[in-house]
Amino acid sequence: MALGAVFVGLFIFALWTVGLVGSSSISSALRLTVPIGFAAMGGIFAEKAGVINIGLEGLLIIGAFGAIASLYALSVTPIGASIWLAFAFAVVASTVVALLFAIVCIEFKADQIIAGLAVWLIALGFAPFASYIIWDQTNSPSVGSFSAWAIPGLSDLPVIGGLFVATPPVILLIIAVPVSWYLLNRTTFGMWIEASGEDPKSLDTAGVDVRKVRYAGVLLSGVYCGIGGAGMALTVGQFVGSGDTMMDGRGFIGLTAYLIGNYNPIAAFFASFLFAGLEALQIQVQQIAGFDVSSRLIGIIPYVTVLVVLAFVGKTQMPSSAGDHYESDD
Amino acid sequence: MSRLPTSIGAALDRLVDASPVERIVISIASLLFAVAVGAVLVLVSGFVTECDDPFVLLPGVGYGCYNPLEVYWTMLEGAFGSSSGLGRTLQETTLLLFTGLSVAVAFRAGLFNIGTQGQMVLGALATALVVLELGQLVPQNVVGMVIVIPVGIAAGALAGGIWGMIPGLMKAYADAHEVITTIMLNFIATGVALYLVQNHVGDLTSDSVLTETIPSVARFPTSISDSRFSMYALIGALLVAVGISLLYTRTILGYELRTSGIQETAAEYSGVNAKRNIVTSMTLSGALGGVAGAIYVMMVQYRWQSGIPALGFDGIAVSILAGNNPIGVIPASLLFGGLKSGSVAIDLSLGVPNELVDVLRGLIILFIAMPEFFRMLGKWSGFGSDPVGASGGEEA
Amino acid sequence: MNVDDESSNRTRTGNLAVHLDGITKRFPGVIANDDVDFEVESGTIHALIGENGAGKTTLMNVLYGLYEPTEGSVWIHGERREFDGPRDAMEAGIGMIHQHFMLVDTMTVAENVVLGDEPTKWGGLATDRKKAIEETKALAKQYGFDLDPTKRIQDISVGEQQRVEILKTLYRGSDILILDEPTAVLTPQEVDGLFGILEELIAEGKTIIFITHKLSEALHAADDISVLRDGELVDTVSAENASREDLARMMVGRDVLLEVDKPDVERGNPILEVEEVTVEDERGVTVVDGVDFSVHEGEVIGIAGVDGNGQSELVETITGLQTPSDGSITFDGTEITDVSRADRIGMGMAYIAEDRQKRSLVMEYELRRNGILGCQRLPEFSNGWRIDWESAEDYVDDVIDEYDVRPPDPSAEAHSLSGGNQQKFIVGREFERDPSLVIASQPTRGVDIGSIEFIHDRLLDLRADGKGVLLVSSKLEEVRRLSDRIAVMYDGDIVGIVDPADVTEEELGLLMAGERPTGMDVDSARVRRRESA
Repeated sequence: MALGAVFVGLFIFALWTVGLVGSSSISSALRLTVPIGFAAMGGIFAEKAGVINIGLEGLLIIGAFGAIASLYALSVTPIGASIWLAFAFAVVASTVVALLFAIVCIEFKADQIIAGLAVWLIALGFAPFASYIIWDQTNSPSVGSFSAWAIPGLSDLPVIGGLFVATPPVILLIIAVPVSWYLLNRTTFGMWIEASGEDPKSLDTAGVDVRKVRYAGVLLSGVYCGIGGAGMALTVGQFVGSGDTMMDGRGFIGLTAYLIGNYNPIAAFFASFLFAGLEALQIQVQQIAGFDVSSRLIGIIPYVTVLVVLAFVGKTQMPSSAGDHYESDD
Repeated sequence: MSRLPTSIGAALDRLVDASPVERIVISIASLLFAVAVGAVLVLVSGFVTECDDPFVLLPGVGYGCYNPLEVYWTMLEGAFGSSSGLGRTLQETTLLLFTGLSVAVAFRAGLFNIGTQGQMVLGALATALVVLELGQLVPQNVVGMVIVIPVGIAAGALAGGIWGMIPGLMKAYADAHEVITTIMLNFIATGVALYLVQNHVGDLTSDSVLTETIPSVARFPTSISDSRFSMYALIGALLVAVGISLLYTRTILGYELRTSGIQETAAEYSGVNAKRNIVTSMTLSGALGGVAGAIYVMMVQYRWQSGIPALGFDGIAVSILAGNNPIGVIPASLLFGGLKSGSVAIDLSLGVPNELVDVLRGLIILFIAMPEFFRMLGKWSGFGSDPVGASGGEEA
Repeated sequence: MNVDDESSNRTRTGNLAVHLDGITKRFPGVIANDDVDFEVESGTIHALIGENGAGKTTLMNVLYGLYEPTEGSVWIHGERREFDGPRDAMEAGIGMIHQHFMLVDTMTVAENVVLGDEPTKWGGLATDRKKAIEETKALAKQYGFDLDPTKRIQDISVGEQQRVEILKTLYRGSDILILDEPTAVLTPQEVDGLFGILEELIAEGKTIIFITHKLSEALHAADDISVLRDGELVDTVSAENASREDLARMMVGRDVLLEVDKPDVERGNPILEVEEVTVEDERGVTVVDGVDFSVHEGEVIGIAGVDGNGQSELVETITGLQTPSDGSITFDGTEITDVSRADRIGMGMAYIAEDRQKRSLVMEYELRRNGILGCQRLPEFSNGWRIDWESAEDYVDDVIDEYDVRPPDPSAEAHSLSGGNQQKFIVGREFERDPSLVIASQPTRGVDIGSIEFIHDRLLDLRADGKGVLLVSSKLEEVRRLSDRIAVMYDGDIVGIVDPADVTEEELGLLMAGERPTGMDVDSARVRRRESA
């Protein structure tokens, strides 16, 4: 973990000193961190509790589609186009899908990897299908987006002022990272999560219901992915369902981020931020006229990084019982 | 929960170790459930979308545009009702045989290869590039074809094999989980292929990301009019399925590959280099994915271009539906090929988005992943009032 | 019953801490406990003995609330109780120390102790870790445990982990402690430590029930002993009035030959010669340090030692699963140091691995597939690339038949068999192909008494046939009973090779602990090297 954090820290420092990133790029990188970072944290809770959730990408897609579809639907009702209400619907939608995934894994003892894959593939098929049904095309029209909040005073500062103008999802992310860390490391719930993933039988014999803890972990991953997916879609203001959808593998990058961050929300956040930074860089590079050569290659850096880390830096400390069904002995 | 396992656990254990018959039952039941959920989705969608000719009016809800039965019927007709439809179906079946076998080969050896998609993308690119070059050097007749097509297949197999070998090596020597690495390699494969085609090896004059069209000596001879389907490719695929089945049931190599994948320590005990076998299994799996790419280029698209269909993921559904049995992959691919082919028809004639099939693909995988669900269901229907499943739920 | 126990001199109160009245527990198709009346007097140590599958654990799980009895009632301190789960049992003052510790390796001692019953602060918003550590410390001090509450479980010894388990139950206020096979994983010295702790607990007014299948431990440590057989309680006797033979007869229902009749066999040529073999682990630490010994035809060499002193690595090196960094191994006159495992199998080396579920069986395979594991390339079963399943199946049928493997079904998957049957199957597979050398590592670990007897007999049959046998076992009794010579391993070296007839258990214990008993004549390569240097 220390290694991963140092790795990430150095990288950001390097980028910073080279001067490629100004404060505005940092805020755009933070916006791009939202889906990755939330997926990563959601994945941490599920997997630490013992349920490997490789369906994070699918949950993000549901969150994004749910947000835009809700907003679109709300705009024709008397309630009007309430962004926050749409956001809430999206989180609920993603959480419900996570609940189904949890039931499938916990009650019906499905193979978690295969079920997670199914969640992704279902979402990957459903979102464009439903987009066609609603908008007659895979992409939605623009339906409105979050406006940025400026922190009074600080946002007026020269150079770094841009850092203090942030969209609500970014602010939620900044809050969620330390809160997640605290939950995992300082609360009884965090202890239960850890025990549930490491040695569920110990937790069970200590009188704690492993299934409830695992449900909680998976549901949290649904909530987080809902926020991440909706946060991104409502920042862009549109749902894009073509190809791999607008999520375009960000859920999987989130998964890699927490592996590199070794299940620590803070380290996972930095890894997410690094990957998002690369993406921001890629967009910037593209804007420099005719310099499109390597943007595709920049896009694969997160994936290559993970492979390199897995191959040469060594294994991450996966919870020992993650992926296993737990059946109480009684 | 507290009383659940003792009451059903042992009784249902016999079902857990599913016999071939039970596996087939589970597969068929999963398929039916997926189709049923799909029908509900279609029906509900019909109330959301707008149309001129609604099929049903529900007071208070509105007009429903789609009749699920009609949708599935159109699908069936579209898949098998015309020679062009049948050609499309068999074409899909051929490709799915290879991707399905790719996934099944890995599964047999206890490995989950999600990377068939990437292996196929790179295999397709390698094939396209090789036959583009080679096609110019050979006589433009049957002789040329007999040279170019096998070489093209070999090129695809080689590229896919190498791409499959990477996660195999990482699994064997760095203990990196193949699920993670193959997902990553899928994204990398697409990125690398797009980069190469767009910037170096593609048709740089085009706005789309694609290669030149391959010459006719590199195209499989067609077997059905209005279709690019080739019987030769299908027969080849069937032979490969039989060969793989024999490999695992009859040969020492198959036995050792399988043992290495499912229990490395026991394989070592039996005097086998388990790590090398894991690499072999993944390479073989990747090579089959690469062949799927080769066939795709030489029988379907006649070039490499961006937006290669997700046949690799379909292959996962096919393999799982077949219980990872190489012979079972044959009917599973035909079925899935029919679904895919039929989805084109529902899109054209009813306006139901063909992504429906992608949803069905996911649902099939999901249902098969939870045999326990069907066991509880079987228990319910078999014993009527036994509230075993219910108590499991409410005490949560 | 009111007999003073010599070892503890406890006064009997006659109050029952536990009374299980007419307990019957049925599983589909099986009666695990059949009308069992089980009584434990308050303030005593009570041993519950029986073969694997006799229903000991089921009975204790009923007491611990994990199972609801089909019939019968549970009385604790004279009060009738109905447990809806372990939580209820805990509230009634019952604590259970499982055979496989219920500890989370990545968490600290204190966190494990309080898990499920954590002290919190800020209205439950945070775990009060300071308080958890303090309470653990206080509790450890009260019972004289030497434990650091801030250490992680993965960093402490097995003996210490067991103490954490005991603390967990004490933290929850248990006064009746159930220990399931508590000595299975401990060294002889740690076992003594454990019995000391039990005495301490009794002195503090606790009641203890421990499950074991080791007769000597029950006789040594318990006040009363209850024997279960086939789900029924045979009898409860005072340890004072019982003998090993009585208990053994009650356990198996017939007379058991505790002493093995070992005929004289002429010792033949050396079949295995191990010279100066040194093995390093992945981190480069020397785990086997210049070991020398040989096994002759018609001889059983036993390697004794506390687990983790290099026996496993030595065995894996001889069988070809690990490569030595130095030294040579000769098998049947051929040097095999660099010969592959497959070729060693081909030359007639059979191997019963210590971890059968990891090494000797593929758990997902049916017996017919497991029957050729390791033999798949032998000419009997293949022509070089194609497997001859017919002869493989004949072979498996023979093994199942001859070695009484149950269920006798070649299509049963390995994981569905009991440990004893798995082991009988492995023993059969390895022995039936007529090996010239058998390496048996912990061949009776986790195996029931009946199967142990059977496996011992087969090993001696091999010896009588003039085969060489290398037996590695952490069970001293077993090594002493079967071996012609005993090599004791400590810290990667053979510290002594002794004749089992000339050595007491205490002396072996000292050797295993790395001490050299005074006045004892041991044949030790290390000593020889040291003296010649």
